[in-house]
Amino acid sequence: MSPVVCCAPPGDPARRRDGAGLSQVGAIAANTFRETIRDRVLMVIVVFALVMILGALWLGSISLGQEGRMMKDFGLLAVTGFGLIVTVFIAASLVRKEVEKRTVFVLFSKPVSRGAFIVGKFLGLSLTAAAVLAGMGLFLFALVWAIEGRPSGMVLAATALVYLQVETVMAVTILFSTVASAILSAVLGLCVFVAGQLSDNVLSLTRLGHNAVTEAASWVVFVVVPNLTAVDVKAAAVGEQAPDWGSVALWAAYLVAYIVVALALAVAVFRRREV
Amino acid sequence: MSVAQSGERVETSPGGAGDGVALAVRGLRKTVHVGFWRRPVEILRGVDLTVRRGEVVGLLGPNGAGKTTTVKVALGLMRPTAGSVELGVASLSRVGYLPENPYFYEYLTGREFLAFCARLFGLGGREREERVARLLADVGLERAADVQLRKYSKGMLQRIGIAQALVNEPELVLLDEPMTGLDPVGRVEVKRIIQRLHGRGTTVLFNSHILSDVHELCSHVAIMREGRVVWDGEVAAALAQAATLEEFFMRVVGGGEAAGVAP
Repeated sequence: MSPVVCCAPPGDPARRRDGAGLSQVGAIAANTFRETIRDRVLMVIVVFALVMILGALWLGSISLGQEGRMMKDFGLLAVTGFGLIVTVFIAASLVRKEVEKRTVFVLFSKPVSRGAFIVGKFLGLSLTAAAVLAGMGLFLFALVWAIEGRPSGMVLAATALVYLQVETVMAVTILFSTVASAILSAVLGLCVFVAGQLSDNVLSLTRLGHNAVTEAASWVVFVVVPNLTAVDVKAAAVGEQAPDWGSVALWAAYLVAYIVVALALAVAVFRRREV
Repeated sequence: MSVAQSGERVETSPGGAGDGVALAVRGLRKTVHVGFWRRPVEILRGVDLTVRRGEVVGLLGPNGAGKTTTVKVALGLMRPTAGSVELGVASLSRVGYLPENPYFYEYLTGREFLAFCARLFGLGGREREERVARLLADVGLERAADVQLRKYSKGMLQRIGIAQALVNEPELVLLDEPMTGLDPVGRVEVKRIIQRLHGRGTTVLFNSHILSDVHELCSHVAIMREGRVVWDGEVAAALAQAATLEEFFMRVVGGGEAAGVAP
């Protein structure tokens, strides 16, 4: 049987079913934020992260005059690690959980498109990640201020760029979760983070070997995997040195573009899937 | 009005189903591919079904007959392999749906969940608040309105599920196993809701295994077996051929093509 071509004109109420409207995206984002921020597991992880940052006080006390440096080093590591854990594990289950528990049927029987669903979920989790990282970053900022006696803007800048890294990994993890299980998506998301820390170095190393094949392979990896180290200013924050902000801004724009592409792919894949 | 196309997403075309028809399913086929070798399995093998406006219709059939798939395809949640679905309502935004064994956002309260569903239909401000309050009253959940859904019983979840299906004041409501797993009190409450919908002129199609409920609520039934509707008609016509709906159902699904029962 040939498909029936349908003919409701654009703007017709009949088309509302496809609802890619901002109000649907906003509703899903707000709902996702509310749901995830109330999750007890998230709270436990955040409290644990704050305890870890406090633990840096002890490390600082045994480091002979390097308290502030140790606090920033260890604290930013904790912010990155826990921010990553929170977002990757929630992002991996965000789409899968709704499919497995059939909540997508409730949503897609309403004027909600697949695109609005993916984008709304991403934005909602982005708000949660922003709240979590802002909480941890401000806590670290206050501790460093108390120890060093002066505020460190670089701690806040480093935290903001950790947020951009985490957002990139979140978008990729959501893309994985449209085709893979939650566990596999989380593992792949973490792998992308690790690869994103190494791809720049691997490319530099393979260039030293002057082997066309390995160099080409590392170029492919460099292009496919987001270059997360390019916006990593933790070392500069610890040493209170100013990074090349122009370069950081360019790489930040690249990561934003990467996020957009990853989400567009996630929407395209999810549109083709039957839930 | 609405037309589901083979292999494509459901779109809408007002008036497509014809006068007095709320849902018309024609020659609906659905094949899925399962397992590593992508073995094709035909779930629907040419479903024909017509639901007239204002009716309460029971869609019956043993497990695996294709009831849930028929409803999902009708809603555009699944793409048909072939066939068409036409809805006789103004738009798909005028259809309400309760999935089987619904599971909702456990950290939201009942009120927040309904408000979220209302927002998806573009309802805002006072209108949304009033709609949510009325629905909570309709399904008897006013006192639990501000309790998180993870603390709801199965019956309460089923009722909040029905409430979300009604948040857009639909003309056609599709309920997938609305009575499954409920205790007698829960079943009575859900039956009352369906009767109230019928009283307001809303068309209701629901899947069920509980034949006594179908007998009590429905004017018409359609019986599916192995991906086809093998009998459909008035409940009275079924009861003219058997002592009980259960006996009639067993004859239809147990024997050959409609087991010699008259339409």
